[in-house]
Amino acid sequence: MEPSAALRAATVVLDDRAILRGVDLDIVPGLTVVRGANGAGKTTLLRALAGLAPLARGTRTASESPILVSHRTALLRALTPRENLAFFVAWRALPPARVDGALARWGLASLADRPLERLSAGQRRRAALARLDAEDAGIALLDEPFSELDDAAATLVRSAIERWTLERRAVVVATHGHPELDAHAVLVVRVAGGSVRPG
Amino acid sequence: MSALRRALLVARRDLAAERRQPDGLVAALTFTVTLIFVESLAVGPGEARRPAIAAALFWIALLFAAILGATRSFERELEDDAIDAIVALEGGRDALFAGKALALAASLAVVALVGGLLSLVLLDLDVALPLHLALALALGVVALPPVVVLDTLLALRLRARALLVPILALPVLVPQLIAATQGTAAALAGDAGASLGWSGLLVAFALVYGVLGLTIVPAAIE
Repeated sequence: MEPSAALRAATVVLDDRAILRGVDLDIVPGLTVVRGANGAGKTTLLRALAGLAPLARGTRTASESPILVSHRTALLRALTPRENLAFFVAWRALPPARVDGALARWGLASLADRPLERLSAGQRRRAALARLDAEDAGIALLDEPFSELDDAAATLVRSAIERWTLERRAVVVATHGHPELDAHAVLVVRVAGGSVRPG
Repeated sequence: MSALRRALLVARRDLAAERRQPDGLVAALTFTVTLIFVESLAVGPGEARRPAIAAALFWIALLFAAILGATRSFERELEDDAIDAIVALEGGRDALFAGKALALAASLAVVALVGGLLSLVLLDLDVALPLHLALALALGVVALPPVVVLDTLLALRLRARALLVPILALPVLVPQLIAATQGTAAALAGDAGASLGWSGLLVAFALVYGVLGLTIVPAAIE
């Protein structure tokens, strides 16, 4: 199967320290779970897949621009959820109506026109996750997607991951919890000592 | 989607954020007005009315306003790593540079309009060639942003960027400052040939740094 995204012999050096060394990884449609201790390099692995961490060596390929949702929302606080998502939808030349549908799906219909700076951390996180639906992302990279979310929102994330994988999208979840995800994964990898191994 | 459309999208997003949080524009306006006022007091009203001095006061104020505006715009991008979402997109780095430069030029046009009117009224300036003056102002406003945005982007991930951006940008901006000042002064004094000549140089600067930014930025942003 053709990978949606891949790293080949990828080495990432940050602050003179090799965080990833010679990593080979294929991301295929379905769920990939990335596990590892705090500071092992899970976030760096996702950023490398997104093209946001410079590779000192090796190559990265992706069938389309992946969307990374991490601890920070990657949205402008000055703008509303609708304005933020409308920018990305316009970028991908998708119908603007997708924005409202995505925000409603993530329970943000009534907050769509409130600037992000006036939303809670969990609501901002949901706005960031709504990007994945608004843009119909083929490659979703989720870094600890359950953090800052209440039970209802965490359930939304679980069902979204299930839905996206059923739609044959490539979904990568980096987390050190939620062992229930492993049962649905096509691949579980562990980051340790700069390496990425099946685990 | 064309590169121009992507740049316009980034510019529109930037201006929407500026409209919602106008602190960058307000700071640039306040700074420009204050600087023009203080500088004209410092050199004295008679001296400040001379075309060369009045033009220099105006463009020095506008140059710092451009640095202020660009710095604030990128601070907003760093707040929640919003910049990462654009950088990760296909063609996002080019669009980021071009869009930010366009948005800064739009903001700077507002500052130039207010600062220009203030200079005219405060210093009671005579304008010999109004159209030439408008041309020199417009081209000066277009020539500054590519350099300022490029320098701000290059210093983006550095802790001392607030200090480094002016240090990096000011020496590079000296030719633009001279051309804009001379072009404006010539328009005020009635020298059409000189004003057009300096304005042409501003076009060249805008093109050179625009191309330079589009070449460097994709490889330089991490």
